[in-house]
Amino acid sequence: MSSPFTAPSADDTVLDPGGERGILLEARAVTKRFEGLVANRDIDFDIPRHSIVSIIGPNGAGKTTFFNQLSGIFQPTSGSIVFDGVSLVGLAPHDIAELGIARTYQNIRLFSAMTVVANVMVGRHVRMKSQWFDAILGHPGERNEEELAHQRARELLEMVGVRRRYEDDLAKNLPYGDQRRLELARALASDPKLLLLDEPTAGMNPGETRQMTDLIARLRRELQLTILLIEHDMKVVMGISERITVLDYGEKIAEGTPAEIRANPRVIEAYLGKQAHA
Amino acid sequence: MAGSGSIWRRALIVGLIAGVVVLYLTTVGIVLAFAERSFLTGVTSMGRLILAIPPLAAGFVVGSRSGSVGARLAAGLLAGAVSGAILALSLLFASAVDIRGVLIRVSAPLIAFVAWDQEAVTGATINLALAAGLGLAGAGLRVLPPRFRVPLMAAVIGVVIMSLLERFLRPRLTELDFTDVARFLYQGGGLTIPAAVLTFVVVAIGAVAWSPVKAGARRSLAGADPGQRSTIRAVLIVLAIATVLYLPEVVGSFFSQVLVSVGLYVLLGLGLNIVVGYAGLLDLGYVAFFAVGSYLTALLTSPLSSLGFGWPFWLALPVVILGAAITGLLIGAPVLRLRGDYLAIVTLGFGEIARLLFLSDALKPWLGGTQGILGIPDLFGVPRIEVPILGVISGPELTYYPLVLFCILAIFVAHRLKYSRTGRAWNAMREDEDVAEATGISTINYKLLAFAMGAAVGCLGGAVFATHLESVFPGTFNILVSITVLSIVILGGMGSIPGVVLGSLALIGLPELLREFAEFKLLVYGGVLVLMMILRPEGLLPDRARQLELHEAEEETGPDSGPPLTAASAGTPIGHGESP
Repeated sequence: MSSPFTAPSADDTVLDPGGERGILLEARAVTKRFEGLVANRDIDFDIPRHSIVSIIGPNGAGKTTFFNQLSGIFQPTSGSIVFDGVSLVGLAPHDIAELGIARTYQNIRLFSAMTVVANVMVGRHVRMKSQWFDAILGHPGERNEEELAHQRARELLEMVGVRRRYEDDLAKNLPYGDQRRLELARALASDPKLLLLDEPTAGMNPGETRQMTDLIARLRRELQLTILLIEHDMKVVMGISERITVLDYGEKIAEGTPAEIRANPRVIEAYLGKQAHA
Repeated sequence: MAGSGSIWRRALIVGLIAGVVVLYLTTVGIVLAFAERSFLTGVTSMGRLILAIPPLAAGFVVGSRSGSVGARLAAGLLAGAVSGAILALSLLFASAVDIRGVLIRVSAPLIAFVAWDQEAVTGATINLALAAGLGLAGAGLRVLPPRFRVPLMAAVIGVVIMSLLERFLRPRLTELDFTDVARFLYQGGGLTIPAAVLTFVVVAIGAVAWSPVKAGARRSLAGADPGQRSTIRAVLIVLAIATVLYLPEVVGSFFSQVLVSVGLYVLLGLGLNIVVGYAGLLDLGYVAFFAVGSYLTALLTSPLSSLGFGWPFWLALPVVILGAAITGLLIGAPVLRLRGDYLAIVTLGFGEIARLLFLSDALKPWLGGTQGILGIPDLFGVPRIEVPILGVISGPELTYYPLVLFCILAIFVAHRLKYSRTGRAWNAMREDEDVAEATGISTINYKLLAFAMGAAVGCLGGAVFATHLESVFPGTFNILVSITVLSIVILGGMGSIPGVVLGSLALIGLPELLREFAEFKLLVYGGVLVLMMILRPEGLLPDRARQLELHEAEEETGPDSGPPLTAASAGTPIGHGESP
């Protein structure tokens, strides 16, 4: 069931700065059925605080379905998901975002006709309080909050590496790599505790992929984040995750450190077929 | 020839289109209807002007292709000639064969007019030659460098506008005791030659002076310290206020009435802009909120209504706004889960339901059925008021001034909302509802808020409308209102506040100014909307205009609008470089 947290690898010395170990997200026996098709079956899954963990698996293994249950887009058919002491089952996506889970998307989904900086400020929405009447009345607190949000958005854009001159351009006009980074900045703007990244390096060349994985590791360090990755690219996952969970046909078939996963015959079989293993 | 084929083929196609347009305008009756309306006194009529525009435009379009100046001019000539040939051949045909049975507007006077009162063959030749010349002129205009082209085109357009305004300006100038000016400008229903020359020169000089003045203003504004800048802003605001205050005085009482209509549609447009432009909820039943605003005002203020309260308008207003906002929530709640087309259809139904409810016999004891509600008092309860600076205010002006106030208030609210957390949340919802929800926006709350705010702003229009007419009838609140308001929002540019104002002026004010075209209003209306969607789908004053304006400063340092050669050569890989 719940596996003990393994010691961090050598290159992750800044792990666990607060000294608080423990589980940030705990999923138990999560099952999702779509009219007879079982997309997830009895999945137990833990995310330790301040770790980077990954879910991998072949296409159609149920990774994104599981992800969507964490962010509230789907409700599990059965099972429980507890995040930071709060059950996520039955909550709307926007409530879950407010609790501190932010995500990105496999196929980039930006607010394309809004400016780059506005996209990030939308991400900040849950941490802002002003209502429509504050805006109409020009409440000083509202102006101040806007100013701070704008400032924070610019900081985040700089952190993820979107150039300053793009700030007031429409999101849809950004180059591909910058769109991915912008999506990341939007997710970070809500000060999440848990960041869900759905194939963050999809469509990137090796150079960009390396930049992105470095950025992910840096974000965890600097923002004390916990990160869950879904990836297709084994190399990305092996490099930065402490733990890896492997799904195949909706079921968890393996869990462990990258080294353990690499050596696991079931994983190799699921990924490469039987011949490769032979 | 084969190498540079594309420009000639283009000329043929554009010429054909222009010819068909000419033929259409002729057979639909618009040309003959304006055959007697003078354009330039003693020179030419509006009818001829209408016939001249398509070949001129064809030449202009063809002239923008790549190629040598000679080729472009020749192509323009060809395009004009093709359109002229179509008209000429049709003329010959129509004078030989009686086609009135099919095209009833093709009368003998029309044929005579198109043939310049000559024999068919002579007339056809004249038309062919003229159209070819106009095509050449159009291409020539396009070939000119922008510093000549822009003032020239502005001047020509200025003359046309001055002539179009004859029906409005001449009587008004006479009314205001500028009889001499009126006589100088207009005679025999058209613009006089001296006036045309004067207009041409003034507009041309203005256009030449415009860009250095604008650049200079921008430079000095950029160099101004905050104190100076706020002074400039204050002066501009005072000027704007003065214009708004004295406008009814200048335009006279009939056009004050028109301004009231424009103002009402500005309010409706601003409200719908929140729902459609900001939040992306396509509401085709917006007239419901207009109706609710009107009926609530009528019920509360009219002593003849079923409630019989007879409240003064200003006491009723907060209740009306609240009531409309609640109606917005009621209409919004059942459609929360619907998107796009489905939402549009359901709201369309709601709009009809609202109208039928107001019309229904069941509710007649309260809402008056077809008889509506009468006896709604004036905004101030008195027919005339004396105001210190403006003097006595009465009639439409009594509605105009409070209406302007409401519009400013609504613009202020719309502006504040747009650049706030709320506005961003709406925009995000418009862009991608699922992602907005997952980013932490409660889409249910924000949808309801959009409907309520849209209703609250739009009901102001209804409230003013009811007091202005002193009565309400269910027949007023038909689907055409919804469509018009939506057209205003789209024409101006979705989500753009200045766009709503401009859209209302264009769709409500302009048709009143050009009343003589009333018979062809829907034709022009449809044509303009189609052209808009092709040429400028983002609207007249799109949301990002401010942004573009900021970038304009950079562009001005480069060559103006780019030499056509390089611009077009990317699009036509074959051809223009080849020598015969």
